[in-house]
Amino acid sequence: MSDQVQDALAQFSDALAARAAATRSFVAGIRVARSRPRSGILWRADVAVASEQVFPKTDEADVILAGGVTVKARVAGRDRGTNVVALRLERPVEAGLPAAAEARLGGLALVFGADASGEAIVRVGVVRAIGPAWHSLAGGRIDRRIVLDLTISNREEGGPVLDAAGGLLGMSTAGPDGRALVIPAATIDQVLAPLLAAGRVERGWLGVALHPVALAATLASATGQDRGLMVMQVTAAGPAARAGILAGDILVAVGGAPAIHPREIARQLGAESAGKSVELRLLRSGAPLTLTAMVTARPAG
Amino acid sequence: MPAEQSLPTRALRVGLIAADPLRREGLTAIVTHGGHQIVDACDEADVVLADGVFVGGGDTPPAVTLGAPEAGQAGRLPREATPAQIDAALRAVAAGLIVRWADEERAEFRALGEDEAPLLTPREVEVLAAIGDGCSNKEVARRLGISQHTVKFHLESLFRKLGAASRAAAVHKGLKQRLISL
Repeated sequence: MSDQVQDALAQFSDALAARAAATRSFVAGIRVARSRPRSGILWRADVAVASEQVFPKTDEADVILAGGVTVKARVAGRDRGTNVVALRLERPVEAGLPAAAEARLGGLALVFGADASGEAIVRVGVVRAIGPAWHSLAGGRIDRRIVLDLTISNREEGGPVLDAAGGLLGMSTAGPDGRALVIPAATIDQVLAPLLAAGRVERGWLGVALHPVALAATLASATGQDRGLMVMQVTAAGPAARAGILAGDILVAVGGAPAIHPREIARQLGAESAGKSVELRLLRSGAPLTLTAMVTARPAG
Repeated sequence: MPAEQSLPTRALRVGLIAADPLRREGLTAIVTHGGHQIVDACDEADVVLADGVFVGGGDTPPAVTLGAPEAGQAGRLPREATPAQIDAALRAVAAGLIVRWADEERAEFRALGEDEAPLLTPREVEVLAAIGDGCSNKEVARRLGISQHTVKFHLESLFRKLGAASRAAAVHKGLKQRLISL
């Protein structure tokens, strides 16, 4: 190997190490009594964020910062839709979150988390795929799809992901098969305001659990679509229950849009949908049926 | 209990780590009932059985952990694993294999409609929901008003479509990962 190549590698390594050292002002370890340690981000002087899907049901947590400094925090709000839990620190601390950056396909990604004692840990990968805004299974809208080429554990997720220039891409999240996704910083900023103010993100809600199903040939020709969404559970006294929807019904259209792509339906259940009525076309025992539901705000949790 | 005739069984030396005395007693019974011997020092064991998280060093034997879903050990079972599952896991791990529970749950953040796997029919979803509730084939048949033969037919189709090897895996892949809450 030539000296030049060795120098370039050493410089690359030194740059990574320097970057890792600089994260101490915003990588947070999160500890909750009787539960496994988690990773988080010190978002600003009095707020930390972490991954909602692995966060225990609790109101209180300890946030562990650089040098083992521990600050008590209260859970201010959680949003399953975007996988964000917001923690309000008991006292402000010095925070140094870098400015947000746009993810680029193939760009280097430094994925930080915290170990059991709150010390920073890191993985290095690249941005494997990038896509437009998407909706999660829980109905949240995420501004950009960012997939990394590495897997992370539930303990590591919730920490910051940086690009090569040290810009903040967002918060790491374990996706299917542990593949690391990134919740963009912009999405976190959007949900933080309502989470800190009201403890939740206002989002339209029907109160049903749905499962995609194939429609038999006769039903497919009657409805003009080869799939629908079968109602698996109906939340008692929720909008769908009040509209008369039963478990076993198959939803074929919501507000005139075919229930083929759940994304389309999620799009109709944004923050502004609460309080509005929506027409639901269904199949019950193979026969068509139209009901009207009054969308409400999704309850917290 | 009659001796196993089909497979030659080997008695293992098992290092047992359990802080709770009741759990320790229960696990001791399971291990000795399986024909194994409990050893005091873990480094003399063929395999370690740990109730909860176990942090082994470089030369400790492979371990089976119970109720430590994020442990990086060769064997990982839930706390409620059956004696037969624990015994099978100890033997497999001692033989150098990796053991995971078919229904292991890891938190995974998913997109709406990203799953391109084959769609299930409404009947298959109903069968899946019933076995997810813990129903036997007979109970599924009774609940849905169909014959047990038909239940088996749907189950075979489900396993094939989902690429699942067990009922638990089918419920996990087909139901839990696809359920949309709106």
